[in-house]
Amino acid sequence: MKLKGSYLAAAAATAVVVAFPAFLGAYPLAVARSIMTYMALAISWDMLLRSGQISFGIAGLFGLGSYASALAVLRGGMDPFTSILFASAFAAVMSMLLGLAILRLRAMYFSITTLALMEIFKIVIHNLHDFSGGPEGVVLPEPIFGGSAPALFWLCMAGLFMTIGVSWYFEKSKMHLALTAIRNDETSARSSGVDIFKYLLIAFVITSTLQGMMGAIQVQSYGFTTPDTAFDANFTLLPLAMALLGGIHSTIGPMAGAVLLGVASEWLKLKIPYGHLIVYGFIIILVILFMPQGLVGLARKTIRNGRTGVRHE
Amino acid sequence: MILNIQKLEAGYGKLKVLRGIDLHVGKESVGLFGPNGAGKTTLINAIMGIVKPWSGTIEFEGVSIGGNATHLVARSGIALVPQERELFPGMSVADNLELGAAYVPRGKPVMARQLETVLTLFPILKERYKQLVGTMSGGQQRMVAIGRALMANPALLILDEPSLGLQPSIVAEVFDRLSILKKDIAILVTEQNVRESLKAIDRGYVMENGAVTIEDIAEGLARNPHVVSAYLGI
Repeated sequence: MKLKGSYLAAAAATAVVVAFPAFLGAYPLAVARSIMTYMALAISWDMLLRSGQISFGIAGLFGLGSYASALAVLRGGMDPFTSILFASAFAAVMSMLLGLAILRLRAMYFSITTLALMEIFKIVIHNLHDFSGGPEGVVLPEPIFGGSAPALFWLCMAGLFMTIGVSWYFEKSKMHLALTAIRNDETSARSSGVDIFKYLLIAFVITSTLQGMMGAIQVQSYGFTTPDTAFDANFTLLPLAMALLGGIHSTIGPMAGAVLLGVASEWLKLKIPYGHLIVYGFIIILVILFMPQGLVGLARKTIRNGRTGVRHE
Repeated sequence: MILNIQKLEAGYGKLKVLRGIDLHVGKESVGLFGPNGAGKTTLINAIMGIVKPWSGTIEFEGVSIGGNATHLVARSGIALVPQERELFPGMSVADNLELGAAYVPRGKPVMARQLETVLTLFPILKERYKQLVGTMSGGQQRMVAIGRALMANPALLILDEPSLGLQPSIVAEVFDRLSILKKDIAILVTEQNVRESLKAIDRGYVMENGAVTIEDIAEGLARNPHVVSAYLGI
């Protein structure tokens, strides 16, 4: 009964989101696209986090996808939609090659390496001036679908839904057991027959592909990008903050966090154009101190306590 | 012969811990005793591929497994109940048990049957089925760990100090269950608690300084003057 209810709620929410272009103007639609992009990144970051690996490379793969897509159109004459698929495949192949090397690292060594990779991609794009357009960036002939606001919205939404779908599959399938086991204790996971490296590589390639795909969708929607836009550190920091705020190790947590922080950030940007990132910082600190399980964790706890009348600490 | 180890040497860095171990396990329950630092856990880690052997052979059901990756050793039919950190604390009893079988070819098809066996062996796990194991007592956690290992439907069950940190009544319960299990599968168990474990084993080895010093059947060990003075404290 409860399960049926949550499926109905999900279907209703999906219908409302699909219908957004019918009753929202261009500006709210653009904000919604930005939130959906961050949401997809937050979910994909969380998917890898479920194995215990903290990646700071989201912006790197996002930028890589952006440039792969833009350059495929400009230099390869590919049509925009195909270029998004190409960029996703490119991110997959790159992350597989990188993963073979860096997934042997753990904890902060893995994190720092992913952060460094992001910079390397950016520097390469900066310096391949003739091919990549260098620091001035690239301008596409026109945005995908002629820049039609509803079409761009649905494209971004498709990317997000795909991410949610994969994340949901991760939660429901054998991946969940494997990733949780790896996060809990690698030696025990191995002794239970889990091929740790294989599952880490699968998770890393899939999440990187999703991040590259969102980058490609972004660049095709705006029709231009620069290294500083495509590899903006915010594409790493905001998804991280959103997942932490909403609650990690789940699909619903990063989604809730993205909506809340996304709307708040848009509002803060209008109110404090230059200081809104400081507020983000405070939000992250407060969340880590006072609700380590995030909003979703807090809600679950409250519901449970309400039901049983017992406080779980 | 289930497990046959010959002239095994292994260690960490330049430190040699195992100095030529000969040990075998047939369809029986075998104890492995010795003081801290004798190399019992290193031997188990070498069998599981957690520590790479330097030389010598490890054969499991007639096939050499020395130096194989841990997950492959596990899939071939050896299940380990490690000494500590043996569980996935953020997972429920149900998930821990499912994980024991999910990645092992010989465990997966008989999952339902093994689950039945485990829950009969440790009825408390049925009551706590949906509980997170991180919130359970030490004794219950050890039962989950043994249960998870059994879910893999192993030919050889290895337990590294199953009595460690448990109250005496639980220790007795654990060894009681092992003596039931040994009718169906081969068991290799390391222990400090020699007195209790002698009830659950057929044969045993005493290790000191990385070498086997005594090998005898359980009754023989119980009478051996060195074992009596050093481990039984009589």
